Amino acid sequence: MLSLLWETVRIAFQGILDNKSRAFLTMLGIVIGVLAVTLMGTLISGLDRSFERSMAFLGKDVLFISKYEWFSDRDWWEMANRPEMRAEYAEQLKAYSDVVVAATPIMSRGVDVKRNDNSVLGVRLRGTTPEYLQTSFMNVGHGRFFTEGENHSGSRVAVIGHDIAEGLFPNENPLGKKFRIEGIPFRVIGTIDKQGKFLGLFSMDNQIIIPFGSFTRLFARRGFMEIDVKVAGNVAEARDEVRGVMRRIRGLRPLEEDNFAINQQEAFESQYRSIKLAIGGTGVFITVLSLVVGGIGIMNIMFVSVKERTREIGVRKAIGATQPLILGQFLLEAVFICLLAGLIGLGLAYGGSRLIDKFVFPSTMPLWLGALSVFLSVGVGILSGIAPSFTAARQNPIEALRYE
Amino acid sequence: MPALISLREVKKIYQVGAEAVYALNGIDVEIRAGEYISVMGPSGSGKSTLMNIIGCLDTPTEGTYEFGGEAVHEMDDNQLASIRNRKIGFVFQTFNLLPKLTALRNVELPLIYANVPRSERLERARTALEQVGLGDRISHKPNELSGGQRQRVAIARALVTHPSIILADEPTGNLDSKSGVEIMRILDDLHRQGNTIILVSHEADIAAHAQRTIHLLDGKIEREVVHPVRA
Repeated sequence: MLSLLWETVRIAFQGILDNKSRAFLTMLGIVIGVLAVTLMGTLISGLDRSFERSMAFLGKDVLFISKYEWFSDRDWWEMANRPEMRAEYAEQLKAYSDVVVAATPIMSRGVDVKRNDNSVLGVRLRGTTPEYLQTSFMNVGHGRFFTEGENHSGSRVAVIGHDIAEGLFPNENPLGKKFRIEGIPFRVIGTIDKQGKFLGLFSMDNQIIIPFGSFTRLFARRGFMEIDVKVAGNVAEARDEVRGVMRRIRGLRPLEEDNFAINQQEAFESQYRSIKLAIGGTGVFITVLSLVVGGIGIMNIMFVSVKERTREIGVRKAIGATQPLILGQFLLEAVFICLLAGLIGLGLAYGGSRLIDKFVFPSTMPLWLGALSVFLSVGVGILSGIAPSFTAARQNPIEALRYE
Repeated sequence: MPALISLREVKKIYQVGAEAVYALNGIDVEIRAGEYISVMGPSGSGKSTLMNIIGCLDTPTEGTYEFGGEAVHEMDDNQLASIRNRKIGFVFQTFNLLPKLTALRNVELPLIYANVPRSERLERARTALEQVGLGDRISHKPNELSGGQRQRVAIARALVTHPSIILADEPTGNLDSKSGVEIMRILDDLHRQGNTIILVSHEADIAAHAQRTIHLLDGKIEREVVHPVRA
């Protein structure tokens, strides 16, 4: 029986070899389908990875309080008209609430920095307090962060990001060296380890952190401010408590709406989930569509092939091929075409995923998805091959032999 | 000796519109193992229908057909396929070789369906080809062979399963006279070696190779002629 199966496999394979170009064209739909589903999977895996890494910048237990909600249906001007945050909120939040472990105001603006002939444009300058170390997830690799004393006195000291260090101090140690922010001299006291980009968009290495006191004194007394709060215990409960404290600080009456926003990492996650769903949905849609179209194409070709080989079917039946054997022969041929197409698609997808990995972002093709796509191809082969194969198996040998 | 093939009161009726057409109308035939029979008749006489029924490609509408004790008239499609494979070797007018396969693979084909192991298959196919004088052409494809050679491949394919009967339907119909003579000589040799041969032809001199000729007309046996020289 095994030898018969093997022979059927051989016969089916021969059928494909005899019509190479036709088989190839037939395969395209399946190839595209498999390519779509696996590349989509690779893309999502890469996105997942870079998203997770980006989320590490934020921290699950940190609340970001400002005028603006990160993702909101609210009109932008409505939020812009809210009162500004004030630096003293940070101290007040800590004083009024037990769950607040650390709180720090942050002001920021874009600046150009210069040292001798080297300059870096469009640098994000942040003014904050030493508690920023607790609310953020950066690592001061060399040197140190500034102290409370330096913050109060408004010292001209700066902790600089990796890109700034490379841009202003190529081939030298920046610690203790002076450079100018918008013409004002500052001294480097620490450098931040390389962090990469946030969501592949904003470089976290292109920032300079200076004491809050220096920032307000030298660059802006007022302006957009954010307060980062690190909380203890259950984040959702802590968020409620922080909201209550903020309302008290702002003196809001019970029925008045919040005039501030408390953001957290979670907002990104729900936003990301919907993006992921959209990408996945599109991939699945393209896949299903091309598999259906591919399957219909294969069915069509198989019908043509059965018609063309009527005589062959007649001969095979005359010399003893039973219905199941003829059915198996054509069904296997359809399955082979699909399987081959699936493997070609998988091969291309693997190449594509390597390219994405190398040039777009680190990612891998999920193995289960590759297996699934091959499995799907075989399924399409069976589905599209079944009707033509039955037609072939049911041929009357006399009529088939007479067919010209 | 009991008959190898026994048809009794066989009728084949086709419904054409409201009218019933009797392709065969009560045929009684007995063929013993080792006989050399020919079937003759003008077109429309039921020759092909009888051939199809004897060859187990079709079953009678009425009557019984027993082949070596097996009731063919009761068989379903797959049983018919099996008996064709085991008991019958076909030689067609148009050869009916598979064009993409070599002579050897063509001859091997019935053994694949008989589930014979590969090495034995190839051995037997080679022997069969040698038997018809094509031992040096085994890896040629049909389009690289002459008409006579193709028909010899077909005969080898018919022989390879050691069938109970060889059914040759107008085996020389598509051949020039020289190749035709050659093919008839092979069939005569096969008969001498003990094979049962049933030959369908409309040419009297081809039919005369047999020991006995059944003449059909309008779905009935018109007469039987025994050729004394051969019998």
